[in-house]
Amino acid sequence: MEVAFKLNDEDRVVECAPHESLRTVLRREGMMSVRYGSDTGETGAAAVLVDRRLVSADVILAAQVGGHAVMTVEALNTGPDLHLIQSAFAATGAMQSGYSTPAMILGALALIERNPDPGEAEIRDMLTGILDRETAYVKPVEAIRRAAAVMRGEHPEPFGPLIVPPLTDGTHPAVLDPDDPPPAGPPSVPRLVPSKDVPDMAVVGKPEVKVDAVKLAKGNPAFTDDIEMRGMLHAKVLYSPHAHARIVGIDDSDAVALEGVHAVLHYKNTARIKYASGGQSYPNPHPHDQVSFDDKVRYVGDRVAAVAAETVEIAEEALSRIRVTYEVLPAVYDERETLLPGAPVVHDEPDTSHIHDRERNIVHHIAARRGDVEAALAGADHVYEQTFRVHQVQQCPIEPHISIAWLDSDERLVVRTATQVPFHTRRMLAPLVEREIKDIRVMKPRIGGGFGAKQEMLIEDIVGHLAIATRRPVRYELTREEEFVSSRTRHPQTITYRTGVSADGTLVAQDMRVIGNTGAYGTHGYTVQTITGLRGLTSYNAPHKRFTCDVVYTNIPVPGAYRGYGAPQGEYALEAHMEDIALDLGMDPIEFRRKNWVKVGDEMDIAPHLGERAVAEEELEEYPKVMSNGIEECVAQGARAIGWHRRNDPAWREPADRPHIRRGLGFAFCMHGTAIPFLDMGGCSIKINDDGTFNVLIGATDLGTGADTVLGQIAAEVLGVPLEDIRIYSSDTDVTPFDTGAYASSTTFISGTAVKLAADEVADRIKDRAAKMLDVDDPTSIDLGKRMAWAKDGSSVSLQDVALHSLHLEDQEQIMGTASYVSPESPPPFAAQFVELEVDVETGQVTVTKLVMAVDCGVAINPITASGQVEGGMLQALGYGHCEEMVLDDEGRTVNPRFGPYWIYRSDDTPETEVYLVQTMEDSGPFGAKAVAEIPKDGVAPAMRNAILNATGVAINDIPFTPERVWHALNG
Amino acid sequence: MEIVRPTTLDDALAARDALPGADLLAGGTDLMVEVNFHHREPEHVIALRRVSEIAGWEGRRIGAGVTWTRMEKGPLRALAQLSRTVGSPQIRNAGTIGGNIGTASPAGDGLPYLAALDAEIEVASAGRGVRRLRWDEFLVGVKQTALRPDEIIIAAILPEVMPVAEEFAKVGVRNAMVISTVSACVMRMPDSTWRIALGSVAPTVIRARRAEELLGTTAAPRGSLLAEVADAVAAEVRPITDHRATEAYRRHASGVLVRRLVGRCAA
Ligand SMILES: Cc1cc2nc3c(=O)[nH]c(=O)nc-3n(C[C@H](O)[C@H](O)[C@H](O)COP(=O)(O)OP(=O)(O)OC[C@H]3O[C@@H](n4cnc5c(N)ncnc54)[C@H](O)[C@@H]3O)c2cc1C
Ligand code: FES
Repeated sequence: MEVAFKLNDEDRVVECAPHESLRTVLRREGMMSVRYGSDTGETGAAAVLVDRRLVSADVILAAQVGGHAVMTVEALNTGPDLHLIQSAFAATGAMQSGYSTPAMILGALALIERNPDPGEAEIRDMLTGILDRETAYVKPVEAIRRAAAVMRGEHPEPFGPLIVPPLTDGTHPAVLDPDDPPPAGPPSVPRLVPSKDVPDMAVVGKPEVKVDAVKLAKGNPAFTDDIEMRGMLHAKVLYSPHAHARIVGIDDSDAVALEGVHAVLHYKNTARIKYASGGQSYPNPHPHDQVSFDDKVRYVGDRVAAVAAETVEIAEEALSRIRVTYEVLPAVYDERETLLPGAPVVHDEPDTSHIHDRERNIVHHIAARRGDVEAALAGADHVYEQTFRVHQVQQCPIEPHISIAWLDSDERLVVRTATQVPFHTRRMLAPLVEREIKDIRVMKPRIGGGFGAKQEMLIEDIVGHLAIATRRPVRYELTREEEFVSSRTRHPQTITYRTGVSADGTLVAQDMRVIGNTGAYGTHGYTVQTITGLRGLTSYNAPHKRFTCDVVYTNIPVPGAYRGYGAPQGEYALEAHMEDIALDLGMDPIEFRRKNWVKVGDEMDIAPHLGERAVAEEELEEYPKVMSNGIEECVAQGARAIGWHRRNDPAWREPADRPHIRRGLGFAFCMHGTAIPFLDMGGCSIKINDDGTFNVLIGATDLGTGADTVLGQIAAEVLGVPLEDIRIYSSDTDVTPFDTGAYASSTTFISGTAVKLAADEVADRIKDRAAKMLDVDDPTSIDLGKRMAWAKDGSSVSLQDVALHSLHLEDQEQIMGTASYVSPESPPPFAAQFVELEVDVETGQVTVTKLVMAVDCGVAINPITASGQVEGGMLQALGYGHCEEMVLDDEGRTVNPRFGPYWIYRSDDTPETEVYLVQTMEDSGPFGAKAVAEIPKDGVAPAMRNAILNATGVAINDIPFTPERVWHALNG
Repeated sequence: MEIVRPTTLDDALAARDALPGADLLAGGTDLMVEVNFHHREPEHVIALRRVSEIAGWEGRRIGAGVTWTRMEKGPLRALAQLSRTVGSPQIRNAGTIGGNIGTASPAGDGLPYLAALDAEIEVASAGRGVRRLRWDEFLVGVKQTALRPDEIIIAAILPEVMPVAEEFAKVGVRNAMVISTVSACVMRMPDSTWRIALGSVAPTVIRARRAEELLGTTAAPRGSLLAEVADAVAAEVRPITDHRATEAYRRHASGVLVRRLVGRCAA
């Protein structure tokens, strides 16, 4: 049918099918800013304006807009400049992945048209239907406020950090005066506590605007799905309806016969090649317990068959015509039950090796120790034992997994894919599609969030197989439901601590036992659980430590990597346990922790005994040590910001005018890692251009984190140019150097050091030439800055002249540098997490009112992007502690694979957040940097739990703190 | 699938007659979810957006095509409160009261308001003309209504006598506004009688008659009466256990919620 409407002020008549949504039609019309987030109107990634009102383009028929005016963000892109709202988003760092930014900008436009001076509540209300997994809405709200101000003709102050003087000497605790208020400033502004050890720099440490801001603000085609390939086919996958079953037969004849179907793949016509899908370094950890298509399914949502067809509809129709005969087997979901005698064996296939105890579903048994825990516990004054259960949640990137594969003119397989690990993907894909690595090219465009879900070779083999089979481009995008069920999740665990403490509150022994549920497949099972042990046993000094863990198979949707990677589970249990011990000993909870937490010079003693390169205590020469630690300053700043003294004030805790409300404050000490030592590697190459600017090629993958910007800042600092002179390209296995990928909080530290080393090399060659041009003997006496090379006598030559000289005039050469880096160190960032909340003691409803995190991430290369990481990470962590939960029914079906019933925080219920960046100088990091991306995931759930305890006197050991769980706990 | 887009009620009713089995489409926020999930594959769709007769809101008569965005800004306090809790601005800009009634979900947020008021649903067909059904004659089961295949919902008709105080609230998992585990609307009438309706706690929206009786005409109930009311509500509702909440919790929360709303409506 034909629909006539105004699209961005132009009359259009489009041909569409009556059932097609407005999103489908707008994308077909080239409006790539209208993005897929779900089919239900719940994410807002496809929100557009119809007659200047925000509507969800995925729950409105294209036919419904006939005669109306539709506006997408493309309407604002009439020239190179940004619209004022777009500029405000760029200036405040309101875009991380930027996937839903166009929708937010449109909503802001309509809002400001109606009300030129919208208040925060109105802005938040406008944003409620545009879910954001990255910014915690903090900076988008600020962006809209500032945009409105500018549009009213006001001139707001430039956006940058608020400098806060330190409260401590860096080593000793501060004594806080309750009457001394925290510094005033909008919550969106990071509080930066400078360290005297950190020199001032030109670009590093500055609130630079993200290098990808323009394309994201304009909604330019930048994401995987934003290209159109001639003749492209669409893939769909048939997923298992059973939690555990053998496929006895499969009949695809009706599907194959369907017009428009080009390939149907399943175990009968695909080679059985074993692999493990976790995106990890070579050699991928065992067991290799997956194949592209198996004759057994192990969870509801497991792959059965894949189809490529002319349209999505035909592909879906084809799936419904595949007849599969299953022999249904008993299933098991709980990590404790799977160990019991008689539990079904999840992996009984003979061709999977390296399963620790197949009959008992134990994939790995991990054991690490220092000293003699049992003896120490036996001799301790107090021994505390406590068990915790942590549940299953999903990463929820707003852009689901999507891959497009084709054969290029050289008949090489090209895969354009939303991945955190392009190089691992290329290597892991090669054997599955029976091609050599040289015949595969993996390209990572902009990514709409990943959080670990995309640290996986998840669907690339499907599009690869289908592109090879059909010789046509093939696109496969997960639906929201598939993203929930068939991608990856966080490992549920049962965690038991036993801790021995001497009478004065000194820890003498800590024993941690974990059962980690890796679901149907091993993927990240081994490494995630080792991080649980590492993080669960490193924060505090104790001479005797032991970690014992069984990683077990069950029939739940597959857990994998999720930002935090095992640490949120371990630190949840640890910080809850430590709180209870402190209270039992009658000690102040922070004082008790302080007595025991690791300080500068202390050994990180369990670390070397865990992981892929573990060594036994007897073989170890030296333990790695903590070299920088800003925790005292973090605690002081955070405590002042949250008003920590109120936790013992009954008048505050029990507000007289609201009898059913109890207030509380909670704390958690957080420690994380920075990259995997001796394993994570990043490469970079840099070349100069004719105009004295630089191309920087990196293998690192920015998935919205701001990595490209931060790496650009590092290069710019070394080369003495503004950030705008750096053109970053990442990542493409044909073009950029290798990088292990975006995970383990490694990019700034590892890839950043690689960039610094490559830039150093380029700088040296620039200096050599400049010395010649300036007639100076010693090139090392030359300084770079302000786009110039300076001699000591003040004479100078511009980088442009150096470039032209080197490329065209004399002794011609390409000035370039290449470097890579792998670190022997993993310097830990530290943080103090504070939570303020209210408990409705009648309903059990918990309302978190404020989150404060003060984090020592060394030198924040960009305080805006760093604080954005902390804000977004805290909100994800709050969802983990409070309301997110994948629920399975008795048959193993996920009953809530949608954002309606799976609750992630929205703009209107997000608590106030404040972020303190406490500088320390970490000598092993580039310009003093440590990691920041994952530590915000570690402390919110335990601090929330401890705040509920402070408010009500009730200690709850299992998360999440849903009203019902809290209500039951309160009623004993 | 084919779409008809009538501009008058007569044309719409004629289309309804001519295309038995066609799906009616207002804002589309319920229907499109079903279409996108292939739960429904309509052959014919009659889009009602342009039908002016159902788009208006005059006094006691709220046209089926009135959106949440309009009701949010309207004069009726509890209706505005509940409208504000629906979905998100995008959903409220498109979604309508008629669609909410048409879907007849036990969690439909407009329904406790209509139930508390004893509102009527006005429907029309080409053959039989207009008829009015009280809310409980219309909402007959989970997602089931008394609408006949040739009929269209025209309006919700509110009574002559309106409450002197009215309040709506939900209990969800967090502070704000997700699909609720319990929703309730409480009203105090000019004659001091009470109306209590609850959503999400039975196959359809229900009235808590026993609790209403207990309250009688007490204008400012307190203490033990309030506690009795809460207990009565907890006993009267018929919730199920699902992934959002257990039956026991829903009963308890219903009682607390109603007790608080009664407190807010008290003289
Ligand atoms: C993201 C999201 C969030 C939501 N949140 C909420 C919420 O918080 N609370 C809530 O109550 N609902 C919620 N909903 C559901 C929905 O928005 C509401 O029920 C809305 O009122 C439906 O109105 P509509 O006009 O969009 O209906 P449509 O989808 O157009 O129609 C719904 C049904 O009613 C029928 N119908 C429509 N108009 C008529 C008529 N005039 N006569 C007869 N039948 C008719 C249709 O045939 C269809 O069966 C949400 C939906 C989405 C997608
Ligand atoms: S507007 Fe797309 S899920 Fe929403």
